[in-house]
Amino acid sequence: MKQTPPRWADQFLKWFCSEDLLEEIQGDLHEAHQARLVAEGKRKADRQFVADVFSFFQPYAFERYSKAKQFLPMFDNYFKITLRNILHRSRFTAINYIGLTVGVVAVLFIALYLKNEWTYDQHFPEEDRIFRLMNGYRDQTYTNMPFPDYFNSNVETQLLLTQKLERYEEVETACHFVPTQSDIMGGGQFFIELGPDRFVVENLLHTNTGKAFQAIFPQHFLMGTAENAFSDFGKIVLTEKVAERWFGKTWQQQELIGKTLVAQEENYELAGIIENVPNNTHFDFDLIVHQKSIPSWGAYTYLKLNGNAQIETLVEQLNAEVDQVYPGYWEDELSKGIEAITLTNIHFSEGNLYELKATANTTYLKTFAFIAVIILLIIWINYTNLSVAMYADRQKELGMRRVLGARAQDVSFQLLMEAVLLALICFPSCWILLRIFLPYFNELMQTAIPISTSWHWQTLLALFALLLLTGISSGLYPAIVYGKRSLLHLFKNKMNWTNSSRLFNFRNVLMTGQFVMLIALLSLTYFIYQQMNYVANKDLGFNKEGIIYFPVSGAEQFNKMKTQWLNIPEVEAVGANAIPGADMANQLTYKMAETDVVFSDGTLQYFDLGNVKTLGLACTACQQLEEGKERIFVINRTAAEKLAKAKNVEVEALIGETIVTEPEYQNEDQSFGFPYVIDGIIDDYNYHSLRIAAQPMLIEIHANIPWVYTALLKANTDNWSATIQEIKTIYASVEKDRPFDFIFLDEHLAKLYTTEQKMGMLLAILSLIALVLALMGLAGVVSYLAHSKQKEIGIRKVLGASVNNILMQFNKEFLLLLGCATLVSLPLAIYFAHQWLNSFAYRIQPQFWVVLLAAGFAACMVILLVSLQSKQAASRHPAEVLRAE
Amino acid sequence: MKNIGYLEEIILLLIMSMEGEAYGYSVSEAYKKYMGKSISISAVHTVMSRMEEKGLIKSSMGGATAERGGRRKRIFEATEQGITVISEIKSAREKLWDLIPDLR
Repeated sequence: MKQTPPRWADQFLKWFCSEDLLEEIQGDLHEAHQARLVAEGKRKADRQFVADVFSFFQPYAFERYSKAKQFLPMFDNYFKITLRNILHRSRFTAINYIGLTVGVVAVLFIALYLKNEWTYDQHFPEEDRIFRLMNGYRDQTYTNMPFPDYFNSNVETQLLLTQKLERYEEVETACHFVPTQSDIMGGGQFFIELGPDRFVVENLLHTNTGKAFQAIFPQHFLMGTAENAFSDFGKIVLTEKVAERWFGKTWQQQELIGKTLVAQEENYELAGIIENVPNNTHFDFDLIVHQKSIPSWGAYTYLKLNGNAQIETLVEQLNAEVDQVYPGYWEDELSKGIEAITLTNIHFSEGNLYELKATANTTYLKTFAFIAVIILLIIWINYTNLSVAMYADRQKELGMRRVLGARAQDVSFQLLMEAVLLALICFPSCWILLRIFLPYFNELMQTAIPISTSWHWQTLLALFALLLLTGISSGLYPAIVYGKRSLLHLFKNKMNWTNSSRLFNFRNVLMTGQFVMLIALLSLTYFIYQQMNYVANKDLGFNKEGIIYFPVSGAEQFNKMKTQWLNIPEVEAVGANAIPGADMANQLTYKMAETDVVFSDGTLQYFDLGNVKTLGLACTACQQLEEGKERIFVINRTAAEKLAKAKNVEVEALIGETIVTEPEYQNEDQSFGFPYVIDGIIDDYNYHSLRIAAQPMLIEIHANIPWVYTALLKANTDNWSATIQEIKTIYASVEKDRPFDFIFLDEHLAKLYTTEQKMGMLLAILSLIALVLALMGLAGVVSYLAHSKQKEIGIRKVLGASVNNILMQFNKEFLLLLGCATLVSLPLAIYFAHQWLNSFAYRIQPQFWVVLLAAGFAACMVILLVSLQSKQAASRHPAEVLRAE
Repeated sequence: MKNIGYLEEIILLLIMSMEGEAYGYSVSEAYKKYMGKSISISAVHTVMSRMEEKGLIKSSMGGATAERGGRRKRIFEATEQGITVISEIKSAREKLWDLIPDLR
C-alpha cells in the first residue's frame, strides 16, 4: 500500500507555496518521502518530510511569480483608498478615533496601575531570596518580631534574633528596622534640629543593623557612601525629598555631609543622602536613623538566604531553637511559631497585624482588569457595528474591486488593513493623553508612576500592541462578512441585514451586550455611592464632629495641659487614648470566672472619663466615676451577649460578676489570668471601621488615667482656627520636643474608606467613558440607518405618517434592545453589588430599582440621541427623497 | 566570467553529469552520494533557481512518476553559457595546479 506523508504538512505546503513551484517541489518531496519510507521507515520519513516542508517556508517558495509581484503596488493602493475613506467619512472616523483613543487610554491606565501593584518590591535585587519573619501569637500573625525583652532597650538583647539568624549557614544576612509611621510605634511628627533651624519630619526609620539593611535593601547614595553611613551608630541618612525640603533645590551643591543633627536630644551625624523610596515598596521612610538602640518594643525583621537554601528548612530549624532567643517561647501556649513570607508576597498578604502599608486588595485588582476587558469589548463592538453599517455604502466599491480581479481574500485584507490603520493613527493622541492624565491618575489612585514611564519601551510597545489588537479584532468581522459575500450580493443595492427586521441580528446582539455592560456599570457605581453615603452617615454610637486628636508624651504632660485646655471657653471635653477608627489590634482571651468557655476575640481598652464625654458614649456605669470611684470595668453589649449566653443568664445579670482575662496566664500565686468585676455594660459603638462587625470590647475606664499616649479634644467649631491656635499654644508650652500635629476625627474616619472611595471614583469615571463610547457608537449606527432608510421614510410619509411616527419607529427598535439588556443586567448588577458589599459588616441592601433607574437613564439618552440623529431624515420632504427613482 | 559560488559549481557539475535526469530530488541524492554530505531539497531548489536566473542552466517540465503522485519533474540541463563557465573554472584551476611544484 502506498503511504502518504503527513496531510497537514502537505496542506501547509500547498497554502504557502506559489502555484508555479508547487508541482515540482511537492513532487520532489513526495518522491523523497517514498524513498525514505523504504529505507528508514515511516516515522523518520514523516519527520524528514515535515522538516523539508518547513525548509521551503522561505521567500523563494512564496508566491513570487504570481502574487508577490503585485503585492506592493496593491498595498500602496489600499493605503491610498483607506486614507481617502478616512478623510471622506469624517464623522465615522471622528467617532472611531475619539472612541478608540479614550478607550485605549483608559485600558492603558488600568494596565499601568496593575503593573505598579504586581511589581511591588521587585526592584530589590534577588528579591526571591528575601523573606520577612512573622510571629504567630493567639489567633493572629504579627508582621513584626518582638524584642526578647520588651522593657529593656539594650542593644545586645535587641540584636539577639538577627545574630542568631546570621549564624545559620543558609542565611546570608539579616536586618531589622522600624519606621515611626507604623502601628507598633504610633506615628506622629518629630523635630530635628540643625544648628538654629528646627525641621519637622514624620517617618523615621530606626535601625541598628545598617550594613545588613543596605545589603538586603540597597539604597542608592547620591551624597556620602553606604560604608561610612552604616559603619557606626549615631548617623542619619536623608532621602532626596527631605534634603530638598530642608536645603532647597541646590542641596547637591552644598557641603552637607558631616553636619550635626539633633533628634530627641541626641547628636547625629548627617552621613548621606539617598534616592527616594519607590512608591511600590512595602515600607516607606523620610530618613534613616542608624542608632544603637531602637526605641520600640519590636522591629520588622528580614533575612536574605544564600543561593539555593530552602526557607522551609530554615524556619523549621529556627522554631526548634527559638527558645535560645526568646526564653520560654514554647511554654507560652499562645505562641504559634515563627513563619516567613517572601518579600514579593507581602503586598498581597491579608489579615496580618501591624502591616507597614495597606496591602493590595486582589478583588479590586481583578475588577479593574475585568473593566479593562469590558472597555475593549465596547470599543470592539463600536467599530464592528459602525463599519458594518458604513460598508453598506461601500459595497459597490468592493464589488468593483472583485470585478477587476481582486480575490475574496484581497477584499478581506483591505478591510482588515483599514481597521488596523484607523487604530494605529490613534497612537500619538493616546500617548499625549497618557502624559496629560498621568499626574491626575497618580493623585486619584495614590500611586507615584513617574511621567518618564510614557517613554519606557514597555509602555510604547503595550500601546502599540493594544492598538494593533483592537484594530485586528474589530476589523475581523467586516473583513470576514464582506470577503465571503458573493459578487452579486455586493452589487445588489443594500445589504440584506443592515436593514433586517429581525430583532436578533448580529448588530443588535452586540448593541444589547453594550447596553448590558452600560447598565451594570452605572448601577454598580450608584451602589458604591450609596454605600459610601451610608458609611458617612451611619450612627456610629459616638459623636465624631468637632473632635481633634494628637499624640502626647505622657500622663503628667497630659494632665498639665488638660486643666489649661478646659479653661478655654470653646473646649467642651478632653479625653485620653482609644481613638475610634483604629485597625484591629492584638486581641486577648477572656471568660467568665465560673465557666470554661474561653473566647479569644476580646479588644481591651484603657481610657478615661474624658474620652467617654468627648465621644458622647452611652455609659450609665460611668456615673460611679463621677461619684468618686477611681476605676471601673465595663464590657460592651456584644461581649455581654456572648458571655451571658455562655453562662446562660440574662445580660443584665452579668453586672457584679467576675470576668477573667488571659485565663491561660499563670500568676506567681498559682492563680490564672486577671480577674475583673464587671461594673456595667456600655452600648456598642463602632470602634473599628464599618467593614468589621462590632467586636467584643473590655474597657477599663479611669477617672484619671495613668498612661496617656493620645489626647482627644472636643470643642465648639464656631471659631475653629482661633480655638486651635489657643490649644496649640498650650501644647507647645508643655510638649517642647514634638510639633503640634492634630487630626480631625471625622477626617480620620473618612480615610478608612479611601480604597473604596478610589474604587468608586474610578468606576464612576470608567462608566462615564463606557457611556460616552456606547452613545457615540449608537449615534453612528443611527445616522447610517437613517440615511439608508430614507426611501422607506419617504414612502411612509407619503402614506400619511407624521415625523413623530417615524421617530417612534426608530426609537422602538433601540428601546426594545435596551429592555432586553435591562433584564440581563438586573441579576448581574445585583450579584456584583453583593460581592462588593460583602467586605462590609454594615452595608446597604442593593435595591433592584437602582438598576431600573440606570436603565431609565440610559433610555433617556438613547431616545434623545436617536431622535436627534434621525430628525433630519424624518423631516425631509418625501419628494426630495423619492424623486430619484 | 560569471560569478559562481562553490555550491553552484558542484550542483552545476552534478546536473551536467546526470544528463536529463537532473531534478531537485535526484540532484540532492547525487550530492549525498558523491559529496558524502546531505543537502536539503529546498537548498538544491534555491541554488538551481538562482543559476537559472543567471542563465547557467535551463529547465523544462518532464515525466511524472507514481512515487511523485503523478506530479511532473522540472528537469534541468546546462546551457551553453553554463558549460563555458564551468570549463573556464576548470582550466583556471588546472593552471593553478600546474604551478604547484610537487605535492610530495
